[in-house]
Amino acid sequence: MKKIFSLMIVLVLLAGVVVAQDEDVNANLGISYCCEKTVGGAWCQNSPVGNCDDAFRKAPASCDATSYCKMGCCYDSQEGTCMENTPQKVCQENGGVWAGDSAECEIPQCELGCCTLGEQASFVTQTRCKRLASLYGLEIDFHADIQNEVQCIASATSGVKGACVFEEDFEKTCRFVSKKECAEMGAVVVSGNGSASAGEVKFYEGKLCSDESLGTNCGPTEKTTCVEGRDEVYFVDSCGNLANIYDASRIKEKNYWSDYYDKSESCGYGKSNADSSKCGNCDYFLGSTCKEFKRSEDRVRPNVGDYICRDLSCDYEGQKYEHGETWCADAKGVSQISPDIKDSNNEAENLPGSRYFRMLCYNGEVSVEPCADFRQEVCIQDEVNGFSTAACRANKWEDCYSQDNEQDCTNIDRRDCKWVEDIELNTQQQGNVGTPFVGSGGEQEQPFVGTENSGVTGQAIFGGDKDDEDDDKEKGACVPLFPPGFDFWSGGDSQALCSMANAQCIVKYEKKLVGGKKCVENCHCLEDEWEDSMNEACIAIGDCGSKVNYIGVEGYYDSKALYSGAGEDAKDEDKKKDKEDEE
Amino acid sequence: MNREKMEKRGTPALTSGMNKKICPMSKRSQVTLFIIIAIVAVALIVLIYMFWPDIQGGVGIVPSTPQGYIQDCMEEEMAKVVETISLQGGSLNPENSINYLGNEVEYLCYNEEYYLRCVMQQPMLKSHIEDEIENAIRVKTDECFNALQESYEGKGYSVNLVRGDYDVELLPRQVSATFNYPLTLTKQDTERYPSFRVDLSNNLYELVMVATSILNWEARYGDAETTTYMDYYPDLKVEKQKQSDGSTIYILTNRDTGNKFQFASRSIAWPPGYGG
Repeated sequence: MKKIFSLMIVLVLLAGVVVAQDEDVNANLGISYCCEKTVGGAWCQNSPVGNCDDAFRKAPASCDATSYCKMGCCYDSQEGTCMENTPQKVCQENGGVWAGDSAECEIPQCELGCCTLGEQASFVTQTRCKRLASLYGLEIDFHADIQNEVQCIASATSGVKGACVFEEDFEKTCRFVSKKECAEMGAVVVSGNGSASAGEVKFYEGKLCSDESLGTNCGPTEKTTCVEGRDEVYFVDSCGNLANIYDASRIKEKNYWSDYYDKSESCGYGKSNADSSKCGNCDYFLGSTCKEFKRSEDRVRPNVGDYICRDLSCDYEGQKYEHGETWCADAKGVSQISPDIKDSNNEAENLPGSRYFRMLCYNGEVSVEPCADFRQEVCIQDEVNGFSTAACRANKWEDCYSQDNEQDCTNIDRRDCKWVEDIELNTQQQGNVGTPFVGSGGEQEQPFVGTENSGVTGQAIFGGDKDDEDDDKEKGACVPLFPPGFDFWSGGDSQALCSMANAQCIVKYEKKLVGGKKCVENCHCLEDEWEDSMNEACIAIGDCGSKVNYIGVEGYYDSKALYSGAGEDAKDEDKKKDKEDEE
Repeated sequence: MNREKMEKRGTPALTSGMNKKICPMSKRSQVTLFIIIAIVAVALIVLIYMFWPDIQGGVGIVPSTPQGYIQDCMEEEMAKVVETISLQGGSLNPENSINYLGNEVEYLCYNEEYYLRCVMQQPMLKSHIEDEIENAIRVKTDECFNALQESYEGKGYSVNLVRGDYDVELLPRQVSATFNYPLTLTKQDTERYPSFRVDLSNNLYELVMVATSILNWEARYGDAETTTYMDYYPDLKVEKQKQSDGSTIYILTNRDTGNKFQFASRSIAWPPGYGG
């Protein structure tokens, strides 16, 4: 009995030790935990156990599999906004309503519709529409049937407007408003002085307050103005009401001061009218907007008033770009990618340190947007009627090395690779070199687990015996069209990747009778051309081999340093011997 | 006495000559003097106009109403707090952040792993910012209300100030703080102020709403297209700065007011190589 008891104590102690050491072991093995919160303050991260904040929950599993880090939709019932991919705790602790059914917020509360507010429209949830209406003091007008943002914005109209004529201080005056606003004003007038009746407020649809026939105290002026939320320059009457779009040629025209003309009936419709001294029919999408005239920014002065359609185009490095144009920067050390990617010029480019950049011209200002570093994104550009559009998009290089035939390699829809016939790569770890993208199950695959030594000896043996299966393989190698960058200075997998271009060439010599030796097999490996072609293979993989960086600075090693073993010595010796023979 | 004698003795011609020597005023020099005086006056007006709030404080000009006093006292501090918070992704002391041009910018959506979509870190961004501003102005609020009380007591008022709660709200084009601090001032008459409100002209509300939309794109696709926002909102500038570690800094600026809001995100980050 005593023995059994002692044994139990030992077992309990052992179990305790195992449990205590479990976390350390897991940490040492690099097992990922789901930390409810990390010591760095981030919520729901898969991280080594040492990164988990001890005050919060953790489990040796992926966060997808835990209850405490289940993702859902966080709904703000006050603002009517929905936030995707939010952990329950984070949402609820901040006062949100969490819905676990859909992390992408496909729930009724988050369904979007068209919210019309005055003359503007917004594609938002119904609650958001209510909130906006209350914030701006407008009536809610929500259309759940409109399921498209473009359609929603197009549906926004200025409504029927006209001259609202009424008496004020024994004078007939006017305001240019909507019919509804006029009706509301009528009610105000009645209750305001008590003497007027609703009949004394009259609405004249499509008429301007400056119309002589209305007999109000409002008349034409030479003043213009900008209106918030609108692009155009407008005339203003003597009562401060908006009139028609500024058109210097019609300032004396009676009709232009009596009837309301739509944008499409105004001067220069369909054009930007940027820097026009006569026409104020600006259009933001076409590259102009109403701004107060500034001598430093505008080329011409408006004939009438102080406002003009400001030109929003940009001048950049001697070239003019329209407002909204985007283009790929002519950055150092990267390829110039043409719309047909296969035709892109990427010879001797994509140098270490280089990166793709997108340029934008908006509101007369050029800005720069870097694509992902290490050339994991490339900048592509196309042009329609001289208007260029560019984008940073993923460089699909990851599975190039695992393609063993030209057809698959150059399938541009799936990958950005090219087939090079002169080189062979050591793709011994071909099974491991796969796509690192998120798999169908949403789980990350570990793409290439190479060690520093893997492939260092080289599988591309020149002159040696080859396996029979290699006979069916196409000669050549599939390499990235836009070689990616590696963090070779900090380890990473650059060594393993670059080692794919390692090659061993066995050169055979015969001893001469008199002395010395003579190359008899694979003598081409001693030529500079072979050396160059091997370096080309290195370069094609990524930031490997001997080359200059993006600012033209040579690397630490020249191509001679790439050789190991007796190769380079033999080559030097051979060259020396040749020289002697010549002499 | 001597002066009188001198005046009596002196000839008119001599007096006139002395005057000319001592104060040789021609018409031209008078005009010059007036011009100098005018320039100095204009310069003074310009300086007073430029530094009016400082001068006002310096010479002890106090706004006539308690509401005006609190607005003046709080506005500068609120502006400073709002600016700091706006450059740090909505937090005064960001927990999980990246340094960008000297500012610690908080990750509002984050995944430390490569190739994976980010997890939302601040789903209720607007209310979070409101709370942050509220906490940041607490000390100044006490200072201002203490100063208000002292100021009116110094003027002989009997002051009854009840310190209730206060609330900060982001609204279109303004940040508004409402202090439920009922104040009663009694001298000959009694004046009652049920609450105080400080309004700061700022576009943070609009910028935060755009940020929430960008964050949803980041959470779903790992990226957001900046031009879409600039097409819809002509007064908005959206900048996207991708960092080498896979993080992205978004900078939203109102082109008219210059108000900024910047935040960080790390979603579907690309590693160098395979990231092995």
